[in-house]
Amino acid sequence: MERLYEILEEMQPEYDYHKETALIDDHLLNSLTVLALISELEDEFDITIPAVEIVPENFNSAQAMWDLITREMRRR
Amino acid sequence: MISYCSIEYLLVFLPVVFLGYQILPRSVRRYFLLAASYGFFWYLSGPLLLWHVAVCLCVWLIGLRLRNLLEERDAAVKAAERSERKAIKAQCAGRMRRWVILAGVICFGILLSLKYTPFFVDNLNGLFRHLGIHVQMKVPSFAVPIGISFYTLQAMSYIFDVQQEKLEADRNFFRLTMWLSFFPLLMEGPIARYGTLAQKIWNVDRIQGENFQKGLWRILYGVMKKMIVADRVNSAVELLYTDFAKYDGGMVFLAAVLFTCQEYMEFSGTIDIVIGTGECFGFVLPENFNQPFFSKTISEFWSRWHISLGAWLRNYLFYPLSMSQPLKNLTKKCRARFGNHYGPLVTSSIALFAVWLFNGLWHGAGWSYIFFGMYHFALIVTGSFLAPPVIAFCEKHNIDRKNFLYRLFQMLRTALLVTIGEMFFRALSLKYGLLMFARMIRQASLQSFADGTWLKLGMDLQDYVIVALTVLFVFVISLLKERGCNVRGSLYAKPVIVRALITGLMVTLILLFGAYGAGYVPVDPIYANF
Repeated sequence: MERLYEILEEMQPEYDYHKETALIDDHLLNSLTVLALISELEDEFDITIPAVEIVPENFNSAQAMWDLITREMRRR
Repeated sequence: MISYCSIEYLLVFLPVVFLGYQILPRSVRRYFLLAASYGFFWYLSGPLLLWHVAVCLCVWLIGLRLRNLLEERDAAVKAAERSERKAIKAQCAGRMRRWVILAGVICFGILLSLKYTPFFVDNLNGLFRHLGIHVQMKVPSFAVPIGISFYTLQAMSYIFDVQQEKLEADRNFFRLTMWLSFFPLLMEGPIARYGTLAQKIWNVDRIQGENFQKGLWRILYGVMKKMIVADRVNSAVELLYTDFAKYDGGMVFLAAVLFTCQEYMEFSGTIDIVIGTGECFGFVLPENFNQPFFSKTISEFWSRWHISLGAWLRNYLFYPLSMSQPLKNLTKKCRARFGNHYGPLVTSSIALFAVWLFNGLWHGAGWSYIFFGMYHFALIVTGSFLAPPVIAFCEKHNIDRKNFLYRLFQMLRTALLVTIGEMFFRALSLKYGLLMFARMIRQASLQSFADGTWLKLGMDLQDYVIVALTVLFVFVISLLKERGCNVRGSLYAKPVIVRALITGLMVTLILLFGAYGAGYVPVDPIYANF
């Protein structure tokens, strides 16, 4: 999960990803950042995130993203 | 055209439905609601109702087929070796895709045939003339069922959600049909997803006093917006958009401002009535507006205006396109080359182009609507492109982007860009829209305000004052909502006499200041024809 925090901070450093729980709902991450993030996560964790998983609840917090990553890693 | 603000709807249809719903036994209540919805549809569209039934049957049957395929897949996966499971899933996905395409061909086919054939034939004739080909086809004209663009998107959202296993296809045809035909949603949406609404409507719990009171306030608030503002400015909007060539640039700009105001008050007012009606029954319908004129960018505007359409386009068009393998590969290449901001911007621009072309065409079969879509596409892409240099500029010059004045500037800029877009949206054609824009720039003048022309547009000073005060009232309510204040919740906590006075005051304001009777032509529901 530390690697996920690093990726998020590299991508958009202005937020505290340990605390934020409404990254999408509060418009902190826009669709461009989400697309860049998905591309990075797929490369980094060797997973494929399907379009159906791109819902706010999967990207609202670092924990939700980590849950998505582990789910996709199991599905591999 | 009958609207949700008409006397027939508010004083006849709605009370009868509320009364029938409340006194009938629960076992018949849901069928009464379904019959009321289809009765309303029949009243508006007559036998064109059959097109709606065809769409309901199509998505019901194809939904069930998808459900069967998923059940078969799960059974096969359970019985298969681990190595075979991927192939079984892929085979099922392929078969499901074919059924989804069939649903799309039928649902969008009906929409395209009825609504867009005249536009395409007309343009094809124009192309043939241009190329010197002596073939001219007769431009057909079809009657279009009410709200076809709304229920088609709603129906397809159900098929996509079943395909993506977000919900289980409904075996009950009547429950599915109830969700697709629920009368408050028929004319102007919002586009409500099956998962969030169908079961709630089907449960048909009794009407509760608190829900009814709050719902009634929301309905009255919507009627105020529609009748006091949208209908009152209608004559000026009609006149200015038809005869704009007689006026200077100041009046053309006034036309754009008045129409933007009219459209917001009409559409959001209707949505207030729709959501209020749902609330009276105890159903929570999705919000379609979230104080859009507080938006700082065009992207934000579209996440606050017509939210349900934006969500549909994002979920079923933008992300599936952006996440398709070719675009994913392109994103990776572009990120490596242009970085984390501009890299995805290249690929998302491709997906956004499709989204805004669809958005423009969805609003209507005309070049002005396509231009409207492309205008917003260009603004959003430009906004994203300029975001990093603007941030850098602000940081360099110590401009605090969270400062009130900076945010106010952003809001006014966004409102101005939206207003210009609405001018093209409302213009009689794209050519007229361009002519209006040119006139607004080239003949910019305040002379018409000085010589009193603005008071000779079917609106006198009293009309302008009433409109301005109502807009101010709506602004204050919006500001309170923006700050998280639950206005109706606070009012409901007051003693019953105060609540009765508030209701009475709202009715009195509508009766006193609503634009009805001789001299006023109420605006047709702007979105009902989409």
